[in-house]
Amino acid sequence: MNEQQPSEKSMQRMQKYCDKYWEKTGTSPHPNAEVTDSVVKGLAAHVDELGRPLCPCNFYPDKKAELERSREWVCACDEMKIWKYCHCLLFVTPEGLPITEYLPEDHEGRQMYGLVEDPTPDKGREARHRAPA
Amino acid sequence: MGQPTAITDDQFESEVINSNTPVLVDFWAEWCGPCKAVAPTLVELAGDYDGRLKVVKVDVDENREAATRFGIRSIPSLLIFKDGAEVDRIIGALPKQQLAEKIDGHL
Repeated sequence: MNEQQPSEKSMQRMQKYCDKYWEKTGTSPHPNAEVTDSVVKGLAAHVDELGRPLCPCNFYPDKKAELERSREWVCACDEMKIWKYCHCLLFVTPEGLPITEYLPEDHEGRQMYGLVEDPTPDKGREARHRAPA
Repeated sequence: MGQPTAITDDQFESEVINSNTPVLVDFWAEWCGPCKAVAPTLVELAGDYDGRLKVVKVDVDENREAATRFGIRSIPSLLIFKDGAEVDRIIGALPKQQLAEKIDGHL
């Protein structure tokens, strides 16, 4: 990633997006503000670099090819929309844990963090219909 | 006291594969939130296991070869190497106790 500071315009865009998405999904920012700040900067930097807020918590051998392949890792990523799981710790519980309740049991998130229940099950998961049966 | 050491693609072979002691490799990136969250824990672990475990950090944006070679996707990915081979992979910002248990299983 280009490690220059992202543009103010992209930072404002992503901050606004996150504010709305926390509210929409009933999730919270991480209690360690540095975690949230890093991710928002990473998303904004990708907007500057690629035109899309590609998740900064993955390694992509080729970022442009990744975007051409799929929007899977464009924030909010498929895992967030289907399972309300944010491995980037941007959309988490008030304690700072990623929600794992809806993940398949063999998913790495479930294996690493155990069962983390959703404190606001009436919100989010707008693509839950795409969860594998 | 041990400290995590930043290494490059060019150093991976000598610092990790050919290491005489087990190595914990932190694949991270500058703007990855959970990488920031786990970083202080890795500093503590490097001190706690000084002499028994080497802790190194690989910035995946600057060192794409190593990240590609080991199929890194989610970051942080913490890979444990022993005798030149990967023996465990931990993904995410886990608490210190859980990381220590994983490490202990390989020492």
